[in-house]
Amino acid sequence: MRRYNLRLRDREFTIDVQELSADRFAVVVDGQTYDVVLSGDEDLPDADITPALQPAGAAAGHAQPAARVAPTRGAAAPTAALATAPVAPRPRAGGGATLSAPMPGVILELFVKPGDVVQRGQQVAVLDAMKMHNVIGAPAAGTIVEVCVAAGQAVGHGDAIVRFAEA
Amino acid sequence: MEGADTLALLMQGIHHVTPQSLVMIGVACVLFYLGIARNYEPLLLLPIAAGCLLANLPLSPLIAEDGMLRVLYQMGITNELFPLLIFIGIGALTDFGPLLENPRLVLLGAAGQFGIFLTLIAALLLGFSRPEAASIGIIGAVDGPTSIYVSGVLAPHLLGPITVAAYSYMSLVPIILPPIMKLLTTQAERRIRMPYSQRQISRRTRILFPIVVTVLVGTLVPFATPLIGMLMLGNLMKESGVVERLTQASAQEIANTVTLFLGLAIGSTMVGSEFLKASTLAILVLGIVAFAVDGIAGVLFAKLLNRLSGGKVNPLIGAAGLSAFPMAARVVQKVAHEEDFENFLLMHAMGANAAGQVASVVAGGVLLALMGAGGH
Repeated sequence: MRRYNLRLRDREFTIDVQELSADRFAVVVDGQTYDVVLSGDEDLPDADITPALQPAGAAAGHAQPAARVAPTRGAAAPTAALATAPVAPRPRAGGGATLSAPMPGVILELFVKPGDVVQRGQQVAVLDAMKMHNVIGAPAAGTIVEVCVAAGQAVGHGDAIVRFAEA
Repeated sequence: MEGADTLALLMQGIHHVTPQSLVMIGVACVLFYLGIARNYEPLLLLPIAAGCLLANLPLSPLIAEDGMLRVLYQMGITNELFPLLIFIGIGALTDFGPLLENPRLVLLGAAGQFGIFLTLIAALLLGFSRPEAASIGIIGAVDGPTSIYVSGVLAPHLLGPITVAAYSYMSLVPIILPPIMKLLTTQAERRIRMPYSQRQISRRTRILFPIVVTVLVGTLVPFATPLIGMLMLGNLMKESGVVERLTQASAQEIANTVTLFLGLAIGSTMVGSEFLKASTLAILVLGIVAFAVDGIAGVLFAKLLNRLSGGKVNPLIGAAGLSAFPMAARVVQKVAHEEDFENFLLMHAMGANAAGQVASVVAGGVLLALMGAGGH
């Protein structure tokens, strides 16, 4: 087993990767276990880190964990884990207000797209937490600038769901 | 002569139809209706209704010696096997994470058991014997398998009505709780926000928790050992992550199979002469009192916690302390969300709810200990 400690937007993630077979990994991200299948694994000439991990470096400016994750055999596993794990947000300057997940769960449905005008309380998404469907409403009236998650995606507490410009 | 005998033999079914059995077939139909049309805990009520129907047909071979329903009853009810097997599945489905993140919620789980003891006293006053009163009180644990386990030990003849009351009222939690919650809280209290504070619960803690609880509860309340032991076994399998297949089987295949057997066996105890008594009516009434008192005690206790914490606890989460996992927690979330769509109490409510689950089991063990029964 290999443990990675990552810092992402001021949040610490502990990621444990257990190699089950050549292409199957059990990945534990903050206590949540994911089954991860490694579908590709290659060294890229000009990147010391695979693209999906880019936000970590960009957000926290933390070079050390990135370097540790680099092109070892297991490197693709945390990449795959992060794709399903609650770490979607891309930092963006001046995006206005953010509606973030009030608790960990899975986004089931999204009712808005960029450019939509929403009213306060309007349904934005349905978050499945503890097997309960929770309607997430817009905290203020405004225009959706960016939808940060996709339906089916796992989110952690505080992860951005949408960014919007307040009216 | 011979012709008349043949006719009598062929007609003996009809000759053995009694008014009682007809009423019980009617009861079975009501349970079918509740389960199928109203969707009240259909997984249990449908098999119970089927067991009841089949047991009350004239001369039913199913409850004769070596009849299937009787075999099921002896296989898993008299020796408590079925409720315990179901508990493994419940443990495998329960996430104690929210409770570990906020351990003081354990108090709400304890408060949510208050109805047990009040109902027990009420049942004693109504003239039930001590073991009977304790079995009726356990409806207030708001946990089906615990109710079955305790009444199976203390008062097996009341198993039918107690189980029906426990499961029907459990499905009514979304109807029984909200009025109580709204009556006992002000709008300002219902709007208290409790932000979710994600605390890291390590895998080691999650694995140690079921082991420690088993040892602790088992030592303090030996009568609760079977229930807590199976509940925590299921949870340990889930949290360990190394026996995925066993966890799946416990939570799905075994739990489903046993639910079918359990429902049929309990339904088969509901034969006219045992069920059609004033005591059944009293149990149904006392059961709903137990549920209501649990909810009231939970909310009032959460109000107290709110005072003590300087206004940081939303009293609504107290209602989740009565067990009925995870339905009660969802009801809490729903009521809070109606009041303020940006307030998400679910994780806190789940914590109180998981605490209620453990507290129900402990309360069951305490009752058995008080009655001096169940140990060998």
